[in-house]
Amino acid sequence: MYYLYNQVTEMTPMERMKAALAGERPDRVPVHIYPRWAPLEYLGLKFLQAWEMPDLYVKAQILGQERFQYDCVIDYDMMGPVEEALGTVLKYPENDVPMVKEPAIKTKEDTKKIRWQIDPRKDGNMPKVLYVIRRLKEELLKRGGGKQHVPIMTWGSCPSRTVGCLLGFQKWFTIVVRDPEWARELMELAFHPWLEMVKAEVDAGADMVWVNDPVSSADCISRDSYEKLTQPMERKFIEAIRRETGVPIVFHPCGNWHDRLDLVAQNQADCYFLGPMDIRLCVEKIVAQNQAGLARAVAINGNLGATSPSVSEKKIPLPYATTLAAGTADAIEAECRELIQAVEGSGLRSILGPNCWAPPGTPFVNIDAVVFAARKHGRF
Amino acid sequence: MSIDDSLLEGIRRSIVDMEDRQAVELTRKALEIHPAEKILNHALIPAMEAVGNEYEQGKKFIPEMLLAAEAMTAALELLKPALARSDVKKAGKVVMGTVEGDVHDIGQKMVCIMLEGAGFEVHSLGADVPIDDFIQAVKTRNPDILGLSALLTTTAPRMKDVIEALDRQGLRDRIKVMVGGAILNQRLADEYGADGYAPDAAAATRLARSLVESRRSQPG
Repeated sequence: MYYLYNQVTEMTPMERMKAALAGERPDRVPVHIYPRWAPLEYLGLKFLQAWEMPDLYVKAQILGQERFQYDCVIDYDMMGPVEEALGTVLKYPENDVPMVKEPAIKTKEDTKKIRWQIDPRKDGNMPKVLYVIRRLKEELLKRGGGKQHVPIMTWGSCPSRTVGCLLGFQKWFTIVVRDPEWARELMELAFHPWLEMVKAEVDAGADMVWVNDPVSSADCISRDSYEKLTQPMERKFIEAIRRETGVPIVFHPCGNWHDRLDLVAQNQADCYFLGPMDIRLCVEKIVAQNQAGLARAVAINGNLGATSPSVSEKKIPLPYATTLAAGTADAIEAECRELIQAVEGSGLRSILGPNCWAPPGTPFVNIDAVVFAARKHGRF
Repeated sequence: MSIDDSLLEGIRRSIVDMEDRQAVELTRKALEIHPAEKILNHALIPAMEAVGNEYEQGKKFIPEMLLAAEAMTAALELLKPALARSDVKKAGKVVMGTVEGDVHDIGQKMVCIMLEGAGFEVHSLGADVPIDDFIQAVKTRNPDILGLSALLTTTAPRMKDVIEALDRQGLRDRIKVMVGGAILNQRLADEYGADGYAPDAAAATRLARSLVESRRSQPG
């Protein structure tokens, strides 16, 4: 339990997140906003500064969580340390996550030239990511008097995204249709380096893993391509992480996945951090897969900004994270309440958060509104 | 259907079906009996419109769009010399690019190809384009439309910077600005001061046509 200054005891963020990710009722709904930018902005930092000085990144994460009171911290997540170690050249913008500058693979011959066996503790920037996790752990233990009160969420890249980074996304999309066998072969090869990285991240102290797929949504590829090509690898990756580490797994289907929610649920994550989709449709499809014995989801995270979309089966005219970035605190509180009701009403656990990462420039008061809503409307 | 028409239909079909070799072969044959302009207007443009419609309807996706665009581009390459000689009137001129800091270029490439297929003269500046390069391109190319693309929440605000720079340089009234990208919506487009927003490549082509029409109907 957590002892607050106002003499109220609550669960610690660690207890709260772990309970929700095990399908148990915590004291109240947790909040995970994928806190990349707010902690940096709280300390007046640009991302590149925090990348070049990992201790500054750790400081921002720790102080940001203490300021905003959401329920987990994150490591450098959403980077490309494995892809970089495999040969892709990344561009590091001043205030954004790295992007692919030069893909590692240009021809099929290049596949053989890549050294696929990499060591997360030695190669490229992977040790820097692990250092941040270890430092986060140290700081959290220090602050908790020897107990860790706040969990560390780390990140793993699913094979389809990894290959996109190795090949360049345009090439990736064309081989999905033109050369699916090569696409499959590349995903198999990319699978192990990232699995090794996730294992090292958990060894370093991460408590839960966030896996995302930004290239298999209905905005990108057909349901058929997802079903036959990328979903099986996604599932294999998630099941391997569970087998090798035992930590809870959150999956982020980035974008609009309305026509394939059944398949998403079958990838066996514990929790889904939802993009801009109809929350009721998502809950209905995920619960149906659970009831059929095909899925094991216990919680829904994210989705703030899209609780009442104008929905067609495939296209939805919705922006990402609009409410959190540009809405009023009142609107955010109202949407959070609606989200909690929709998710908790289905028997799943609700974890409040936006429908993509909380974007740069999000007013602090809006993040406060999410935590406020969890305390006001999500208390059990 | 006459043999001539079936040839044009064959080109249309091969582009929609992403068969680039067949598109090239049939276009070569068609050039023996049709003017390039007719092949463009009756085969390539309708093909890309069909591809765009299928994308909007959720029947085609990014891979299919890219492959159809490759087939269309291959066919268009064969037509270009003849089109240049025939002095065909372009639907309009567009300068396009992804804003600085953002290396994502698939979306803007698809828009460029769709626009080219619809008869526009397109100058792509690629991805990660500094503001000054946009300004320079507007000055030297004198386009009807400047197209700005961004995928990320972190980079989309650069669109506003580009539009403000156009204003400072006294260029804003000379052109129309259209914006697009996964993160964009009409509200953001309005906030940035753009003249139009399109959610995908097919919609961008329709938007470009209407922007050119409104620009050309402006007094002065």
